[in-house]
Amino acid sequence: MIRYNPVDSDASTIPVKYLPRTCFIMCQLRKPEPDDQAEIRKRLGTFLAAMRFSEIDANSSLTGRDFLAKIWNMTFQVPIGIAIITRRTTRRSLANIFYELGLLQAYGKETLVIKSQDVRVPSDFVRTEYLEFGDDFEEGLKKFFDCVFSLQEHFDLMADQLRNDPLLAIDYLRRAFLITGEESYRAKARQLHEELRGVVRSANCVENLLVKF
Amino acid sequence: MTSKKKDIVQVKNPKSDRYVKIDRSAGKIIAHKKSTGPYKDVPIARKRSK
Repeated sequence: MIRYNPVDSDASTIPVKYLPRTCFIMCQLRKPEPDDQAEIRKRLGTFLAAMRFSEIDANSSLTGRDFLAKIWNMTFQVPIGIAIITRRTTRRSLANIFYELGLLQAYGKETLVIKSQDVRVPSDFVRTEYLEFGDDFEEGLKKFFDCVFSLQEHFDLMADQLRNDPLLAIDYLRRAFLITGEESYRAKARQLHEELRGVVRSANCVENLLVKF
Repeated sequence: MTSKKKDIVQVKNPKSDRYVKIDRSAGKIIAHKKSTGPYKDVPIARKRSK
């Protein structure tokens, strides 16, 4: 995948350090943190720990470099992005959250919006999975994660079927690896990459589509 | 004139709960089913046992 750095518009040639089984949490980071957001994050954190998933947010690391570039990089590293919006989330934070959600969806990440009951999502996101915070919160989260885990098998199967478009197959394996952290997907991708040498490529493979601009 | 035999299968996407048709020889997704249920007369691809 070609990634364009939003800061300078150049294609990035820096390898991504992937973070399998990690969620990128998008919420208001500016203090003071809204009470309802704090409660959602607390229960979400407990749930993620039980699922053996880690969580990061834009404040998780200090690079000393551009903040946007850091967020852009984080969206590539993870398999899942979770947004938290409440009635008290500031407009400024909302704009950031929905920008990041868009980035994650464009890069094929699984996304979930957790919202308090009194909040409406913007119309562009009405088809995005959202979960209302309430008593059955953990049940809803479980359903979302069950769906994500079922995608892992699907991605693996798709990779098998799309071997004649190896870049696409490798991309499916990368996504399966991000969900599970299973090393076997990495090994499979490397094997596929090895097999590429000297192979006649299909007419519509990713690189052939890319070159026809 | 001889035509190449196509190797077409279908796979169910668990997120959309719909089948997608794949041309394995071309390595490409050729159709997404709009309604539920599989395509007629197209084999369903299964995961190979390890």
